[in-house]
Amino acid sequence: MIKMSQVYQKLQKIVSKNFVSNDLYVRHAYSRNVNPVLQGVPDIVIRPKDAEEISEILKIANQENIPIIPRGGGCCEWGGSIPDGDTGILLDMKRMSNIINLDQDNLIVTAESGISWGALNNYLSQFGLYTGCLGPGSGLTASIGGGISHHSVGAGGCAKYGACTNQLVSLEVVLPTGDIIETGSQANQFSKFPFNRFGNGPDLAGLFCGDNGIYGVKTKVSLRVFPRPPFAEYKTFLLPRKDAQAASQIMIEIRRKGIDVFDTIYMPQVIIATSGPLGTFPMWDILKKKRGILFYTIEANSEVELEQKVKQLDEIFLNNKSEELGPELSDGNFAKWQYENPWHLYHNLWGMVPASEPFTAECFTPINTLPELILDTQAWENEHKEDMNQITKITGNLLILSGAGPIAMVDGNNVEYTVGFNTSDSYYNGKKHKIIDKLNLKLWKSLLIRMFKHGVQYYMFGTLPSSLMVEIGGYSLEYYNLLKSIKKILDPNCILSRGKFNLKGD
Amino acid sequence: MQKGCGECGFAINPMVGIDLTCPVKEALGEEAFEIYFSRGRMSVLKSILEGSIPLSKELAEYVYQCTECGNCTETCHQSDEHVVLNVSRWIDHCKVWNALRKDLVESGFAPLEKHNSLIEWMNDEKMKNPYGEAQGKKFEWLSTFSNIKDRGDLVFFEGCTMPLRQVNTLKNMMKILQVAGIEVPISKEEWCCGSIGLRIGKCGEDIIRHNVELLEQMGAKTVFSACAGCYRTLKKDYPEILGKELPFEVKHITEILNDLLANNQIPFKPNESEVLKVTFHDPCHLGRHMNFYEVPRELLIKIPNLELIEMKRNRAHSWCCGAGGGVKSQFSELALKISMERIYEAIETGANILTTSCPFCIGNLKDAYNRLQPEDQFKIKVIDLIDLIASKI
Repeated sequence: MIKMSQVYQKLQKIVSKNFVSNDLYVRHAYSRNVNPVLQGVPDIVIRPKDAEEISEILKIANQENIPIIPRGGGCCEWGGSIPDGDTGILLDMKRMSNIINLDQDNLIVTAESGISWGALNNYLSQFGLYTGCLGPGSGLTASIGGGISHHSVGAGGCAKYGACTNQLVSLEVVLPTGDIIETGSQANQFSKFPFNRFGNGPDLAGLFCGDNGIYGVKTKVSLRVFPRPPFAEYKTFLLPRKDAQAASQIMIEIRRKGIDVFDTIYMPQVIIATSGPLGTFPMWDILKKKRGILFYTIEANSEVELEQKVKQLDEIFLNNKSEELGPELSDGNFAKWQYENPWHLYHNLWGMVPASEPFTAECFTPINTLPELILDTQAWENEHKEDMNQITKITGNLLILSGAGPIAMVDGNNVEYTVGFNTSDSYYNGKKHKIIDKLNLKLWKSLLIRMFKHGVQYYMFGTLPSSLMVEIGGYSLEYYNLLKSIKKILDPNCILSRGKFNLKGD
Repeated sequence: MQKGCGECGFAINPMVGIDLTCPVKEALGEEAFEIYFSRGRMSVLKSILEGSIPLSKELAEYVYQCTECGNCTETCHQSDEHVVLNVSRWIDHCKVWNALRKDLVESGFAPLEKHNSLIEWMNDEKMKNPYGEAQGKKFEWLSTFSNIKDRGDLVFFEGCTMPLRQVNTLKNMMKILQVAGIEVPISKEEWCCGSIGLRIGKCGEDIIRHNVELLEQMGAKTVFSACAGCYRTLKKDYPEILGKELPFEVKHITEILNDLLANNQIPFKPNESEVLKVTFHDPCHLGRHMNFYEVPRELLIKIPNLELIEMKRNRAHSWCCGAGGGVKSQFSELALKISMERIYEAIETGANILTTSCPFCIGNLKDAYNRLQPEDQFKIKVIDLIDLIASKI
């Protein structure tokens, strides 16, 4: 095996010296994601400009058995876009952020995978278009490549349009061996432009959707885009006492009636009750009853259509003993703010308390399982008070809170359940307390296992949850063998996203 | 403090419709590794705090490539009265960067070479300014004006950049004040306000105490400055560092001029038919640092035959000129690149004049202007707000 310095020289020849670095500080700048514990410092950071450069980089990595980790917006959790350990080459994909084509006849946009959801939608808005699902809540920074790698939802539109992978038409992918392929209609080399995902044989694009970056590096993404309807209404309701049951029931009824809500988002009681004292949502201070809220946004192409849909929705909400809040944000109507400020809510909730860190991850679960999951999350907290108290003994009075963030309805009859707890950072009073990291990780793993055993689907896996799912036997042997076999064929040296799903090579 | 940063990345990418982001990141373009902007720096800071990497000269080279414009903070803190971004309560990026700079200085890895000269000159008994000029030179311009008083309620703090680099603007300011019947005391004992030292991370309290005592001895009830950097330093840094309120109020020249205009104390030339289209650049030290946005605009719209046109990015979303945080002196090409973007944004508005109220911004914008193609230079002029008013009386 040659030295890393020689690898570095080879990489310089591919991208030129300005786009590769092995500087200590540059490497540490890419060593974390939004999770508070995991860190992996790459040996080299490189900023490729196209699929061909990535192909060359991957070939070198294969020759020298060096792990590669792609990183889009870097908003992943739990090791999603950092190396597993201090090693490897990190591909910073943000240099590849050009919009390649907007096909206004067929309503398909093609862009390089490093562009953010925010920038892409900003561009589309000039034409009265949007991507439907606006990607993850972190979409001002998060890239479309990362979104496809995780089935992302959360920024808006996922009740109507589903996860962002639903809109996928075609992908250009650099396989771990360096081969470059295109999927969907582009699998036919005679096709002049991307127009459909399915056909030309199996849906190989699906292999890369939600793969968490283990099967290939996405370099070009074609997505369906949609005309933004000119009319919209937004309403927020205070739920009755058993708010989780009510929220679940309302969402089920919306689906049964086939109403195409753009968003329906449930803010559980824990958010409403704590956001007042924490000052996050002062508008809800006016609520006498601090119960959960549920809001909807509905779009329409005419006033008449909008009126009809609003009437149907209001009936469902009111029949379930919800109370409509006033129309303005100051009245607590959060729905309009969310519609007009996509990607902001995520930032707002990220770390509700100073010097605390959120241990959360997102999963999909059927709407009707929601009440049980929320109850069990509370039960989990009660069972783990001892470990939590050990942390608060060190850091003082910081309250460790478990629960769920905003719960968004997604297509099908599912919701996105962002569950976790807010806990103390291990860096406290000028010193790092490793015991806090250890306890936090112990707690986190136990909560993840608890949720796995409810049968939920995590989608932004990162290294930690994906490996945990394997370790606890979440996958059947046959399923995991298939996943491994595909990996072996595509990536015989296991250089890409090494460590995820416990895939570490030979 | 920075451990409160969740590294969500919100602060680094453009806000839809506002295009707010880091000017250094944008100027470096495709070469902008994350170490050059907020999230990457926060990650590095965590590693430093945790003891896994050291402070060093190499780190200083990255850290000082930041204008401390506060755009990252503004983006991170996007909020309104009903939906408050909690992080805004405990993360002030500029304070974090300043604390790091101070640590680098204390560890001997900073100031960088050119910054070191500025600080030496600022502290030199014969200079007391960061331009390396003899102290007396700063006050030569005063010889044009007779009867400058030693004491008074309203005292002018002249700073260093204007008297040493933009003296005509200073003379124009005096001309306006004289026409308006305002006499202002100015002291020849004034030292640099210390802004450059504070931004670099090395400024002794002796400078601050000297200036405060001097201004107090002059009988000041109000001190005003025509420099955004001095204004911020006197109004914000001095009380913070001294731990007490100053014995006088601090104002910016635009507040003084605005009052004079409101009282019709500035006689403009009559019957000018040409309407000037003017766009205003918010200096970071006035705007984001001091939340001072409206006074210059109120002032501008009071000037006859003047149409104020806003740039796409204005007020809290204003694009930095590129000069601040020591970037102009140490990384002049980077400063110019940032400044060029701002000038092109001004040209886009169709304005004939790009004006501002900060000599540092003016200096950098004019340097960038000189690099424009002649056809672009023809489209716009860069003029200090004081000079703009003076030209109309």
